[in-house]
Amino acid sequence: MNLPSVSNSHKTNEIAVSVRGLGLTYTTAIDRRPTLKARVKSLGRGGKQTRVIRALDEVNLDVEYGQVLGIIGSNGAGKSSLMRVIAGILPPTQGRVEVYGSVSTLLALGVGFNPSMSGRDNVYLGGLAAGMSRVEIDSHFEEIAEFSELGDAIDAPMRTYSSGMYARLAFSVAATVRPDILIVDEALSTGDAKFKEKSLNRIKELRSDDRALILVSHAMATLEDVCNDVAWLHKGKLVQRGEPKTVIDAYREFLQVGKSAAIDEDV
Amino acid sequence: MSTPTQVYEPFRAGLPPLRRYWKSLWSRRTFIAEYSRSELREQHFDSAFGQLWLVLNPLLLSAVYFLLIVIIRGSSDSTRYAHLTATLFLFYLVANSLTGGVKSITAGQRLILNTAFPRIMLPISAVVIAIFKFLPTLAVFLVIRTVLGLPYSWQMLWAIPVLLITMLLALGLAVTISCINVYFRDIASFLPYMTRTLLYLSPILYEAADLKPKLKTLELFNPLFPILDSWSRALVHGQAPISSHLLIALGWAVGIFLVGTYFFLSREREFAVRL
Repeated sequence: MNLPSVSNSHKTNEIAVSVRGLGLTYTTAIDRRPTLKARVKSLGRGGKQTRVIRALDEVNLDVEYGQVLGIIGSNGAGKSSLMRVIAGILPPTQGRVEVYGSVSTLLALGVGFNPSMSGRDNVYLGGLAAGMSRVEIDSHFEEIAEFSELGDAIDAPMRTYSSGMYARLAFSVAATVRPDILIVDEALSTGDAKFKEKSLNRIKELRSDDRALILVSHAMATLEDVCNDVAWLHKGKLVQRGEPKTVIDAYREFLQVGKSAAIDEDV
Repeated sequence: MSTPTQVYEPFRAGLPPLRRYWKSLWSRRTFIAEYSRSELREQHFDSAFGQLWLVLNPLLLSAVYFLLIVIIRGSSDSTRYAHLTATLFLFYLVANSLTGGVKSITAGQRLILNTAFPRIMLPISAVVIAIFKFLPTLAVFLVIRTVLGLPYSWQMLWAIPVLLITMLLALGLAVTISCINVYFRDIASFLPYMTRTLLYLSPILYEAADLKPKLKTLELFNPLFPILDSWSRALVHGQAPISSHLLIALGWAVGIFLVGTYFFLSREREFAVRL
């Protein structure tokens, strides 16, 4: 499980995450919800109707400390699934994932938040959910509040917040956790342009030699700016990995060429 | 090269490494507390009227049931009312753990899909919430007891081990049912009927000693039977519970807790896929 605040004793180029032959399949039921009633009704009518989806297929990927890895690919490429396996949320179906250090995830904003509580209470709730201790949150509270630019609204219930305010507070909490390995899934595109830039800067600050960052994004320019390595996933397979510019150009070209075939099926 | 802190391999049935699991759970105890507190607050139990409702609700319930007893039996006395309130309040600790626990995993979907943490935390929070709801009713019972003029005695301290056993049972039940609900979502709709049946099978509207010999086998299948009887003996009558009842209760609680927790822990890595 992810415990931040572990002393960062990792050196650059030491391995942070090793993914070997990773495969992930989902078996989704056609039925809306698994119920006892449905199970009883289908007794004697043969097998359950299911569809098998191959989300990840033979993915090999190493992430080293000091690396900022961008993950690109069209919708349904398996990016989020890969992040969830590395974070230990989804168990792999095949292969092996080794993680060397504490992991923190920023897969969705405001996880653990309770809208009926004040922003202040949610800073604690969200921070604790992310694995921080109460003392750590205490010592960072001012910083979080200031970063979120909420002012007095921090003591108002979160259900009164605009979606932008909500996202700003959520990002501020998440960006305070200082894990060895940070996984961010499309959480950068929050708030207005000004806050976007601010959060991007925060991500840049988090880059350091003893930390590994994995960013999932569709914002190519941002990734080219922030990352020193990019991996491109397509339909669960790793297509290309390397220099940000090279991979992103290849991906862009692929998008242009395959516009009729590859892109439209995701629409 | 150093050893990995975490290794994820294909899901296998069986328990995760328990020591690490426990450590991880323990490190999140403040989160459990805060999470429970926020849920309680969402149900408005931080306000004066919310607190009042917390006490008023079981009190009104006990009044309704007392009316029922008086009508059916033709008469009643203060001991019977004390018995009814004491056992009803404890029953609601278990019932609230079940109703809170059943949806704890399915309702925590967002949390489960986006963070790695010991999933058992969610049913634990449900039980913590039920305990917080129970405590004020215990105070109310002591007031009722004093008003009714029942004598106090040291034997009443037997209520403490009985309460601990009940909490363990409630936890075991909450863990079990939260896990079952992941696979069969309609269990939540059956639950009210199950708790209602359990209520009538337990010595709440009647005392265990009043039960006809023919119906005595009931107590063998109901873990709440020995618990509620011991609870009433200690708190209402000021007597030591029957020791075999205490042992049976403990056996049920430990058994359900162990089986439910095993079931839960061996399945929980799969929850994220199932939600």
